[in-house]
Amino acid sequence: MSWYTIDTWIVIVGVLCAISCALPGCYLLLRQMSMMGDAISHAVLPGLAIAFMVTGSRSSIGMFIGAAVVGVLTAVFTQWISSWGKVDRGASMGIVFTTLFALGLLLIVQAADHVDLDPGCVLYGAIEMTPLDVFTSFTVAGVAIDIPRAAIVLLGVLLLNLIIILAFFKELKIAAFDPELATSLGINAQWMHYLLMTLVAITTVAAFEAVGSIIVIAMLIVPAAIAYLLTDRLWVMLVISAVFAALSAVLGHVSAIGLPHLFGMESTTTSGMMAVVLGVFFIIVWLVSPRQGLLRRQIFGKTVASKEDLMHE
Amino acid sequence: MKCFRLQYTFVKVVALAAILFANSSCKQETTGEYHEFHTQGHVEVVATVGMIADIVREVGGAHANVSALIGEGVDPHLYKPTRDDVIKLQRADMVFYNGLFLEGKMGDILVQLARTGKPVYAVTEAILGDAEYVLVNDSEHFDPHVWMDVRGWIKATEVVVDALVTFDAMHRELFEAQGAAYIEKLKTLDEYTKTVMKTIPEYQRILVTAHDAFNYMGRAYGLEVLGIQGISTESEAGVKDIENLVDLMVERQIPAVFVETSVADKNVKALIEGASAKGHDVIIGGELFSDAMGPSGSYEGTYIGMIDHNVSVIARALGGEAPAGGFQGRLNLE
Repeated sequence: MSWYTIDTWIVIVGVLCAISCALPGCYLLLRQMSMMGDAISHAVLPGLAIAFMVTGSRSSIGMFIGAAVVGVLTAVFTQWISSWGKVDRGASMGIVFTTLFALGLLLIVQAADHVDLDPGCVLYGAIEMTPLDVFTSFTVAGVAIDIPRAAIVLLGVLLLNLIIILAFFKELKIAAFDPELATSLGINAQWMHYLLMTLVAITTVAAFEAVGSIIVIAMLIVPAAIAYLLTDRLWVMLVISAVFAALSAVLGHVSAIGLPHLFGMESTTTSGMMAVVLGVFFIIVWLVSPRQGLLRRQIFGKTVASKEDLMHE
Repeated sequence: MKCFRLQYTFVKVVALAAILFANSSCKQETTGEYHEFHTQGHVEVVATVGMIADIVREVGGAHANVSALIGEGVDPHLYKPTRDDVIKLQRADMVFYNGLFLEGKMGDILVQLARTGKPVYAVTEAILGDAEYVLVNDSEHFDPHVWMDVRGWIKATEVVVDALVTFDAMHRELFEAQGAAYIEKLKTLDEYTKTVMKTIPEYQRILVTAHDAFNYMGRAYGLEVLGIQGISTESEAGVKDIENLVDLMVERQIPAVFVETSVADKNVKALIEGASAKGHDVIIGGELFSDAMGPSGSYEGTYIGMIDHNVSVIARALGGEAPAGGFQGRLNLE
């Protein structure tokens, strides 16, 4: 196995992508709406299609905005349907995102058939290709460094997520655990909900290109789920999820290029291997976690953590 | 307290990972040093499909080290490049691809590679200027299967010769001589194909295949071409298309249909069953190489062998005459 510049960039893009997803993922998990990422990542299709039709270009800021807007709309519509109709949130999510996804398909087939919005890329992403799309180049000590566009975009999204979470840490936390308490404390829980949904939409769209719409769900949920098994403090949970997310990107890529070569095969897809690594991490932590692990529960027959502990740290 | 210890462990793990990562980063090789080839004496060339790699091998000879990304039996329309492919492309001195959207999913990468200043050539670029030559299907997509017409592939060879000469002017005479020799061989193959196709009874010059890859061949050598998958992409209409094809085959007593190495053959089997239900027995005339060549190292694993195989198999199955050894006596069709 040999390591090239492109591998370094794939890992950097992977790490940025995984951490960007893990942070809002923690809040989704705590609010028991993990599949919102799934809904949003599918529902953005009409946004992509409309933006393409309006701007006529495939790699534009327009598509990003279009997708992010539809992503937020998904959250809004889901909220409306579940609060006004006799429909639970899971079902209303199912109604909204499938309808939007179907609308997006119709738009693409009818008006933009010649566009190569490749389903394979949408499903698995093309993280291996991201280093080729260079945003800017500069030279440090005689070594040319080409920074991929995906790395810049994901770094921006990561910083945005960090800033919002740090700035609204208390508000987001209380709104996540107890919307009524939040309202009585003068926090607009509804507003916090949409703020979080906006973050999820932006993150999902940015991660979409690198890891695809299925793997992005793993990035949102699994690091958060691992962290939730290990701690009941919110900020620790955020840190742990970010660490596991970053580890999955590094180990995922190393396994993707290393493991198949052991059997004389060519390297496999990095995004897929990242999700597999996350799954393995989860199983290990689920078995041996000191607080909620299966082994501990088998021995002591009880669990300790609860939402209340997380709340009153 | 427990949390603290846990975090400490994580810090250690992260530090360890960082050290491993940094170490391996030191081994990284920089790209962009591709003009150092003169020290090694040969040009590193990457081609997308085998047919193009074969041209470069013939023209470049010992001065070109060629590899093809898309292997035998793989459909280039659907091929998704891997990280290893990207590295091969980045490390190559030159890159050749077919163009006309054959490499559907690699288009963006090739554009980005060209932007870095690497010589990237579409072998169909000479043809693209000739609006009369390029075939366009119903939905105005280019038909990329130019190699099915040997004269089209001669034009592709000329593009390769020019590109190699531009890149390595020191070996100009060699490349031009080897290119001319290869074009001579191709012209002989073209003549053979014309002769053999004429032996097929005129009313039976119909080629029914799994997908629309043979239109250039049909136009160049006077065959009517009907691809099952190419006609329509809608599955509902597909059933109707198969019925129409069956009627046509019964009416004109077409003796054989053909399967392709890189396309699933279930539609072709449906045709045969449909025809036999109407009392007309159709056989599978043979397996044709459409988008990929045969196994590397074999005669069918070269462009000439691939076309020779296709032409001879088609002619023999449709009632024409072709030697069992093909045009060079290297096939084994008996």
